[in-house]
Amino acid sequence: MAEATAIIGRATRVQGRVTGEGDLDIQGIVRGEVAVGGEVTVDSGGMVDGNVTGRKLVVRGAVKGDLVGRDVVVLEDGARVVGDVRAPRVAVASGALLRGLVEADPGDASRVPTARDHASVRTPSRDATAPSRAASLQARKPAAKEAAHTGPVASHAAGAVSHETLPSVRGPAAHAPQAVHAASSAAQGGATNHAGARRAPPPVLPSLKRARGQIVKKKER
Amino acid sequence: MASTVIGTGITIEGEIATDEDLVVAGVVRGKVTAKEAVTIEHGATVEADVQGGSLSIGGSLTGNVVATDRVDLQSGARMIGNVKAARVTIADGAQFKGNVDMDV
Repeated sequence: MAEATAIIGRATRVQGRVTGEGDLDIQGIVRGEVAVGGEVTVDSGGMVDGNVTGRKLVVRGAVKGDLVGRDVVVLEDGARVVGDVRAPRVAVASGALLRGLVEADPGDASRVPTARDHASVRTPSRDATAPSRAASLQARKPAAKEAAHTGPVASHAAGAVSHETLPSVRGPAAHAPQAVHAASSAAQGGATNHAGARRAPPPVLPSLKRARGQIVKKKER
Repeated sequence: MASTVIGTGITIEGEIATDEDLVVAGVVRGKVTAKEAVTIEHGATVEADVQGGSLSIGGSLTGNVVATDRVDLQSGARMIGNVKAARVTIADGAQFKGNVDMDV
């Protein structure tokens, strides 16, 4: 399987960097960066306070830091993660807790996520779900923002739903609900934006004056 | 089997503190604090002060060693540092440079 397996046992604390080749099984506590070539498993009861990098990451314990997998990141039941998750494939099982940005991109995992990346996920076939092409064009920018915003949530849901088919969970599949969500919300956003553009913008300064006047009045009293 | 294993190819830079057995086959730089047995296998490199219950050294160790029970330097081991333990054995073929304090 791998050239070596390292185990950080249940009653062991490591303060510092853990690097090298081979697999790593963390059952204890690691405070510091973990970067190995093989598979990293953070077992239930295991805890990592730092970024974790590996070919495959499987988390059943707690991680406070970013998870970067060159191949796949799997958050299983019992996982508690506060940090960003980036890998070509990301799976989040039900029962896993996650707070952070998820970037599941089979194309290039090392790329820094941007709003444009999320927008480009929407292929022409999905434009059919939008009411009109014009609306979707209008809503391109809001859609990107929306996608970036709902990214982790949508991926989370996708991972949870497709837990049973875990090995076959791939980036595009994980992205699909997110993209559809983005497209539909974009359509809504586009519609409201359109309507808002025809109307005059709400008065800002008069209301400020009014507010000031009230303050002045109050002072006078 | 030991509960904590630092396999070959793995490097730890920092401090390891454990209440269970520790086997080092890779590289450790920093400090090791253990209550039970610590085994530094042949091929392992440890540049750290090591504290443990009993120590078995077959690899390369640079640093001071304190054991509550015993320290065994095996043949092929290479150690530079001071040893403090109730019992110390140095096997024929072990390289060693340092002070030995056996609580006499």
